[in-house]
Amino acid sequence: MDWSGWLVFGLVATCALTGVMIAAQLVGLTRLDIPLMLGTFVTGDPDRARVAGFFLHLIAGEAFAFGYAVGFALLDEATWWIGGIFGLVHVGVVLTAIVPLLPGVHPRMASARAGPRTTAVLEPPGLLGLNYGVQTPAVAIIAHLAFGIALGILLQPH
Amino acid sequence: MTEARSRSAEPEPHAWSRPVPIEDYGFIGDTRTAALVASDGAIDWMCVPRFDGLPLFGRLVGGAAAGAFRMGPAGSPAVLARGYSEGSTRLETTWRTGGGRLTLTEGMVAEVAGRLLPTTLLVRRLTSDQPVEATIEFDPRLGERRRAPRVRRRGPLLVCSWGATAVALRTEPQVRVEPGEPTVVTVTPDRPVTVVLAVAHREPLIDVPPREAWDRLEADTKLWREWCAGIDDDVSHRPVVVRSLLTLKLLTYSPSGAPVAAPTTSLPEELGGIRNWDYRYAWPRDASIGLAAFLGVGKPEDALHFLAWLLHASRLDRPRLPPLLTLDGAHAPGERILDGWPGYADSTPVRIGNGAAGQHQLDGYGWVIDAGWLLVERGHHLNSETWRALRGFADRVAERWREPDAGIWEVRGDNSHHVHSKLMAWLALDRALRIAASHRTPSRTVQRWRTEREALTAEVRANGFDARRNTYTRTYGSTDLDAALLVLPLLGFESSDSDRVRGTIDAIRRDLGAGGPLLYRYPPGRDGLAGGEAAFLPCSFWLAQALAVSGDVAEARRVFDATIALCNPLGLLAEELDPSARRYVGNYPQALSQAALVQAALAIRDAERLERGRAARTATGG
Repeated sequence: MDWSGWLVFGLVATCALTGVMIAAQLVGLTRLDIPLMLGTFVTGDPDRARVAGFFLHLIAGEAFAFGYAVGFALLDEATWWIGGIFGLVHVGVVLTAIVPLLPGVHPRMASARAGPRTTAVLEPPGLLGLNYGVQTPAVAIIAHLAFGIALGILLQPH
Repeated sequence: MTEARSRSAEPEPHAWSRPVPIEDYGFIGDTRTAALVASDGAIDWMCVPRFDGLPLFGRLVGGAAAGAFRMGPAGSPAVLARGYSEGSTRLETTWRTGGGRLTLTEGMVAEVAGRLLPTTLLVRRLTSDQPVEATIEFDPRLGERRRAPRVRRRGPLLVCSWGATAVALRTEPQVRVEPGEPTVVTVTPDRPVTVVLAVAHREPLIDVPPREAWDRLEADTKLWREWCAGIDDDVSHRPVVVRSLLTLKLLTYSPSGAPVAAPTTSLPEELGGIRNWDYRYAWPRDASIGLAAFLGVGKPEDALHFLAWLLHASRLDRPRLPPLLTLDGAHAPGERILDGWPGYADSTPVRIGNGAAGQHQLDGYGWVIDAGWLLVERGHHLNSETWRALRGFADRVAERWREPDAGIWEVRGDNSHHVHSKLMAWLALDRALRIAASHRTPSRTVQRWRTEREALTAEVRANGFDARRNTYTRTYGSTDLDAALLVLPLLGFESSDSDRVRGTIDAIRRDLGAGGPLLYRYPPGRDGLAGGEAAFLPCSFWLAQALAVSGDVAEARRVFDATIALCNPLGLLAEELDPSARRYVGNYPQALSQAALVQAALAIRDAERLERGRAARTATGG
């Protein structure tokens, strides 16, 4: 296992992913804001949430990078295209399972069943995050491809 | 013991004699979707799974083939009483049948989160004081093609399905209901007939026994009453204000907080005409007006919910503020005509989607930033993201106020220099400057807003005012008036008791008056569309508000009372009212009308407080 590589390049890849997401938000392609979504688990103030969410996202990114590193070690090979395939699998899970299931566990996210007494103010993302803009799946795919390709290039297979 | 028996019968002729007057419809909902119920007990409009979904019952604008769901007396007896259960959204209709009374009580369960309940659960119960024959006519048809369902029976359930959408009907006592055919039941005093309709969309159906569904509706009623108890007691005309606020709540899509302008599409602004639009979307302008209404009655949490939606939904387009958005904050789809839909009272076309989505409307920025200021004025500190968004809107106004726009009335065709839009642009800059006094803002930005605000003031006074008639005008250089200018005394652009303000109010009443308190929004027919239109109800409330703010409280109250007297007994308002026929036209019930009513009542309350304060000071020689 490339332990030092995992820590350093996991950070780099997470920053690449975050950069793509932020750029997409800035040009108006999506309202998916991962730091905000994660950070509002711990605070309702959007500014503080983004800071908390940024660090939570880094931790999550490192955890996923660990999974990639294990995958590369098992295959005994790390290339940009294998990283890209891992990224596609990763984003598939995120968009079809993690994001749509968030309303069930997120204390500040409403669900499609929310009623008038709901205090949750974050809109539910819906399947593939489509409630946050129709380009959301495309943006997420590109961001996760960047994550996977970065790790495929930078990580050593063992 | 209840005798519940079913038999097929020929359709009652009265059941298909449409159209029912719009004001005859009651409104029930669950904050995710809603239904319109005629006084004969027919649900003629209901979309699933949400406001902007496909019509399940669409007879309102789709003809008999679009389906309906009627529960009521077997004949055509007179309605004895109709109204909402106090402080709740539960509708009750009572008919005199022979020597007895038959009552239909109905509602939709709003609070389903955290329980194994369907997202849409409609509960209807018939009760009587002696044995009475009643009819159930259940005819669901889905979508544009008004498709009949695939029908199956599963134990006590009648299941109608169309691919990913299914509905289940269950009755207690059990009655065999055939879709599309009337079923006669006998209701006796000791046991009511309860019917439950559960809707599932892309999820399994959930069977809720009618007794449990009724209990849930009762629990919901209690929650609504608790919510109403929190509304300030000192609001004038409290019952109509409370009904308006409840209607605004029902029109707020809870999963995102989006305020829907109306639950209907294509209820015509002119009977038989072409002014038929889809209002099942959210207008940021309406959200801001709703925010002010909730804030004014002591419901800050509801006001903040509106602002949260607004900021989240507008994110894709910032700093542009789209005139309208879908319930998820996406761009509204383009307009499309539903082929073969006959429309309400032969008013075609029936449209879905809204073509105003792409327009440049300057006034929206003013409403939104003013809503932010209202919060700041009441002691709320805007978080930096909110203030960043509002600053972006103000910058946008500073950049684009010199351009013509489509205006508040969304007139299709060429843009113009609408005076109301310029005033609202002024409001945007003025309120941004006020907020900047307590929120971190670069000094260069503040200076720029100040410069643009002064330039705007000079331009509007030079080009938007008709000195000969002493009134502001609809557009630069025009002689037409615009009832939206009644916001003038509320802004601070002119002193509220100035000669120009009084002149504008008087001119609008004179030139746009439609009889009594009613006003046309602009001279009828001056919008490039064929046909005419009716009086615009929010304008009458804006008039009452303008009069109250400019110091004529007695006249404000007179206008308010006279307008309320024209409204339907349920306290629900359409967009417009035909001044000669005294009938509602336009989409219904309309959030803008209901919010304008609340704001007028609040303005009258505040003005009366001021008057009382002055009188007290005079009496004590202070």
